[in-house]
Amino acid sequence: MNGLTFHRKIEENTGLLIFGILFVSAIGGLVQLLPVLTQESLETASANTRPYSAVELTGRDIYMRENCVVCHSQQIRPLVAEVERYGPYSRAGEFVYDRPFLWGSKRTGPDLHRIGGKYSDDWHRLHLLDPRAVVPNSIMPAYPWLEERQASETGNITNKLTVLRRLGHPYTDEQIANAEADLEGLTEMDALIVYLQMLGTGFSEEDAAMEGGSH
Amino acid sequence: MANLPSGFWAGWIVVVTLVSLAAVLWLVWSIYFGRDLHEESEVEPVWDETLAEGHNPPPLWWFWLLFGSMIFSLIYLIFFPGLGSNPGLLNWSQGQQVASSQDRFEASFSDARAAVVDMDLLQIQGDANLMATAERIYQRECAVCHGPEGRGQANLFPNLQDAEWQWGGTPAQIEQTLRGGRRANMIAWQSILSAEVIDDVSGYVMTLHEGGDENHPGKPFYEQNCAACHGVDGAGNEMLGASRLSDDIWLYGGDFDTIRETLLYGRTGEMPAFGERLDDFQIKLLVALLAR
Repeated sequence: MNGLTFHRKIEENTGLLIFGILFVSAIGGLVQLLPVLTQESLETASANTRPYSAVELTGRDIYMRENCVVCHSQQIRPLVAEVERYGPYSRAGEFVYDRPFLWGSKRTGPDLHRIGGKYSDDWHRLHLLDPRAVVPNSIMPAYPWLEERQASETGNITNKLTVLRRLGHPYTDEQIANAEADLEGLTEMDALIVYLQMLGTGFSEEDAAMEGGSH
Repeated sequence: MANLPSGFWAGWIVVVTLVSLAAVLWLVWSIYFGRDLHEESEVEPVWDETLAEGHNPPPLWWFWLLFGSMIFSLIYLIFFPGLGSNPGLLNWSQGQQVASSQDRFEASFSDARAAVVDMDLLQIQGDANLMATAERIYQRECAVCHGPEGRGQANLFPNLQDAEWQWGGTPAQIEQTLRGGRRANMIAWQSILSAEVIDDVSGYVMTLHEGGDENHPGKPFYEQNCAACHGVDGAGNEMLGASRLSDDIWLYGGDFDTIRETLLYGRTGEMPAFGERLDDFQIKLLVALLAR
């Protein structure tokens, strides 16, 4: 079969053409993605990283619902300027319990991956209710309704934890049994602040030292 | 090189990468320099009397562009990690890259920074450049709570320009506050004192800046419950972060309702710790700025 008839055959047979296009465009993924799925070092949690508690998980869901990820990234890149500004750059092991991850790709506001512990709870509350009250030139919208809704309204937390456990997150029976009680009396604002205050605390100096820069 | 793929998948990457590179090379080569396929094939179909496919070859500079980028990718794969577990000739890694640029950063600035850490506060305060740097650090790290001018905000974050310091205003105390953070612990009195007593004490606290009303009904309760931290005369206690009540400077507000609210529900104002976030140089500059 010479080149032209082969070419003609592909052009005249839609099924073959579709298969050919899919195959060629899959090659990048076969090289870049498939091997990574099996790489253990990317699935191992950093020493200080643990699954999200019921309250943190609820806060994370609120973070997703309000689409914070559109303006705030959660990934500090390995560049000196970023490390100086935000802290140690993000490691793969810190994200093993993120489903889905919230790395984001746009920084209209600052990166939030090491925000935990930087500001007090009072500051976060005030800032979410009225950003201009503490940062006069902020363009962030206000989120007053977070204070009015109960954290338990955001979905069935017991089911969420059960599903995540099935996916391999090591929740204990006790954590799942107490999940609803943990949310009792908390507003969505409280849950979101708890989540923000734990962001980036999964980083472990020891793991980073072991990496020894060969990464 | 713990994070480079190994075993089967390393081989998989090498094979798929090289085979597809070779296939693309063959494809591009054959299009430009293969046999003239049209001569061998049957007659080209012609539609509507004159409509036929053209035989113009694609421009040659496209070929050089494609060929050049394939040569580039080969050179790249030789020098950088790309082929499975092969680290490449340069032994490059992202972590090493940031570590080495951090070293360069250190080498350029560490001596100057160390010199500032050893400098006298007065010397730093007299240096306009250093104070401008300190101001920038303040604006970046502190201004969101304490305000761009350091005058406090929102009746939650203390004014840093006035004479009152919750936790002390000496350079050593300011440095301790910056490094370790502070957490105020004014307890909620609503379960301990009755509402009337809380009203009385609130009223008495309002008289403290004039020396305290001797005959006020809240006085005995104040002395019994509050004086341990805030002092009999309301002088406060910097060791505990207990506010001075005998002046007219108020963090949360000095009107009756706010003082009553403070007593009822307590206050747990928090200054986060910056010892991990800032280095010695930055903390020294902030202390110089704040202790002015």
